[in-house]
Amino acid sequence: MKKVRGKSIFITLCVAPAVILFVIFMLIPTFNVFKMSLYKWGGYSNTKQFVGLNNFKILMEDTNFFRSFQNTVLLIAIVTIVTMGFSLIFAAILSREKIKGQNFFRIIFYIPNILSVVVISAIFSAIYDPNNGLLNSIIGIFRGSEKTPILWLGDQKLVIYSLVIAMIWQAIGYYMVMYMASMASVPESLYESANLEGAGRIRQFFSITLPLIWTNIRTTLTFFVISSINISFLIVKALTNGGPDGATEVFLSYMYKQAYTNSSYGYGMAIGVVVFLFSFGLSAIINFVTKREPLEF
Amino acid sequence: MKSKKVISLLLITAMSASLLAGCGGSDNKPADSTPADNTAANNTTEAKPDEAKPAESTPADTTEKNSSEEAAPVEEQTLKVAAFEGGYGADMWSEVVAAFEASHPGVTVELTIDKKLEDVISPAMKAGDYPDVVHLATGREAALTETLTKEKALLPLTDVLDMTVPGESVTVRDKIVPGFLDTLATNPYGDGVTYYAPMFYSPCGLFYNAGLFKEKGWKVPTTWEEMWALGDTAKEEGIALFTYPTTGYFDAFTYATLSSAGGPDFFNSCMTYEDGIWESENATKVFELIAKLGTYTEGTTVANANNDNFTKNQQLILDNKAIFCPNGTWLPGEMADAPRADGFEWGFMAIPAVNDGGAGCSFCWFEQMWIPAAAENQDMAKEFVAYMYSDEAAKIFAKSTAIQPITGISDSLEGDNKLFYSIYDNGATAVMGGFASTAPVEGVNMLDTLCGTVNSIVSGDKTVAEWQAAVEEASDKLRAAME
Repeated sequence: MKKVRGKSIFITLCVAPAVILFVIFMLIPTFNVFKMSLYKWGGYSNTKQFVGLNNFKILMEDTNFFRSFQNTVLLIAIVTIVTMGFSLIFAAILSREKIKGQNFFRIIFYIPNILSVVVISAIFSAIYDPNNGLLNSIIGIFRGSEKTPILWLGDQKLVIYSLVIAMIWQAIGYYMVMYMASMASVPESLYESANLEGAGRIRQFFSITLPLIWTNIRTTLTFFVISSINISFLIVKALTNGGPDGATEVFLSYMYKQAYTNSSYGYGMAIGVVVFLFSFGLSAIINFVTKREPLEF
Repeated sequence: MKSKKVISLLLITAMSASLLAGCGGSDNKPADSTPADNTAANNTTEAKPDEAKPAESTPADTTEKNSSEEAAPVEEQTLKVAAFEGGYGADMWSEVVAAFEASHPGVTVELTIDKKLEDVISPAMKAGDYPDVVHLATGREAALTETLTKEKALLPLTDVLDMTVPGESVTVRDKIVPGFLDTLATNPYGDGVTYYAPMFYSPCGLFYNAGLFKEKGWKVPTTWEEMWALGDTAKEEGIALFTYPTTGYFDAFTYATLSSAGGPDFFNSCMTYEDGIWESENATKVFELIAKLGTYTEGTTVANANNDNFTKNQQLILDNKAIFCPNGTWLPGEMADAPRADGFEWGFMAIPAVNDGGAGCSFCWFEQMWIPAAAENQDMAKEFVAYMYSDEAAKIFAKSTAIQPITGISDSLEGDNKLFYSIYDNGATAVMGGFASTAPVEGVNMLDTLCGTVNSIVSGDKTVAEWQAAVEEASDKLRAAME
């Protein structure tokens, strides 16, 4: 009896630090975000005015918010699909094929992930420069340099795709390494027998590799949702600051502008709540849709 | 088994201890971060007793009284000053603080100075620890000054204006150039009460390459008709008439043209969101003027009109690819190291009159200093603000070309700066102010609507009518929030 009690005290003590940290740094702030979204407050003074769900009511009529919503959904969708496709292909090639300089490519692909977003945006500003940029110079070879330059960061219909390219470039290496790690654990014998049966490389990829790393892919999908929301804010902040005229405004950049520049902290938190629920909901849906019986090997 | 338990327990204790240590560590910080040079400054105070002035002395006291009060024991106090490090550099602030400490024995100034001042001071402010004096202009992205204004968390400076400048016999109000204290940029609520002390000012106008005009034999346009004519001439030579760094610079441009189109009263009506004012005839003139200017704007401007690339737009002027660029007097300093065309020479002019025969106009931008209502050491804070207008402080600031609106200070300027600051002597009307402060309105940002849309006008994504309607709508919403 005494031993059981001693054990439970021991377990409590062991778990306590983590629980305390989690409560202080995760639960309380999250709860505060929800609470603050019900107030009209500038962020500093003691004059908080309880307005109930009014912030959400304004949000439903805010066209700028919907624009940032659209942009974010577009970014999540395109960046996820393209990045996942590319990193799966690269991972399969690098882990299954014998090519020279495998490690070199692995490092090259991973480098963008080590760079800070500010560096990445500086690189892409240089690439997108209308007059001397890499992209316009290359395109100029084909269409003639006399024509008016393409404004990658100035044309409101193009600029969001310019961000997409930067985000994909930034993310591929990270996911590639994750997929490579799980591909390495797929037993070689499966591929050998598939070879004997006469299955081609592509067939092997879809019938062996993909099903066996499925749990890993599911996890990364959630990462895609969360990181697209976060990274898009950083890149937008450094590259376009939401411009031109709000064409690249995303969830968090709009939230920042409202909470700080527009002195509506409570409203910003209401946007935060929507972002929280949206990313939570989207991850849940993705998780549900991609649920498969885990394959044992 | 047992040793495992012991080790685990030790590890937990270590973790908990480090957690507590992490939380408790912040208490020591302020004491440690006192600038080391303060002690040096305090020592020098003893060497200059004649300048000494007890902290408690009332504003009416003048220097003659000081000698009798010198004997009184000096009360030790700390004044927390937070200043934005702008283009003028940080050194002038350390110098001014040292001079202030020298003339105020017993006062230690804790100076916080940073390019991103908001990020440094606002966490402590949220926890209730406010600086006593803050030098931070309006119109910045983090909008700390505006937020505190909207929250009514500033101290009125009316009594500071009636204080005698420390060490001198004139009041602060008398030293400030007339006109600077009747604007919405010092009296944000439009009720005649001053909350911001006007600090370094800078005329805004159009910068150009005077060398290019000489080389081509062009005449600097004084009316918009001449401007458009010049635009057409220059176009044939492959030079665009206009560019802008970012749309943020259109605030000064719009304010000046509004005032030029309808006069100061009209301008104030715009700034206080009068009903229908943005759809009035005078406002329409301004909208259409900017839209026409959009058609003369250099083609790549929009793509570079962001925080990362705005210098590329400014570079267009130096490279003779565009003629005019709206900006403030900090531009030559900002582009000092940039390559430029042969024979380049800075030119600066006011914005031509909108109405025929009217005067040109230039918006006068200035930085502001204020005292938070939650400041602990308010009396000394007021003393510090008053000290900013002393000849001693003004001289230190002027060394770094930071010019305060003090009568006679701009006379000491030399070179390019003399040209820039003489703009008002050459007939241009000075325009000052900014949008009146209202309670925050969620989702409505006037400057974004008014200026940010310029990008869409230039690129043709929005029409003038859409722009005008959006501005009027924002104005309606803000009017409702004005008390």
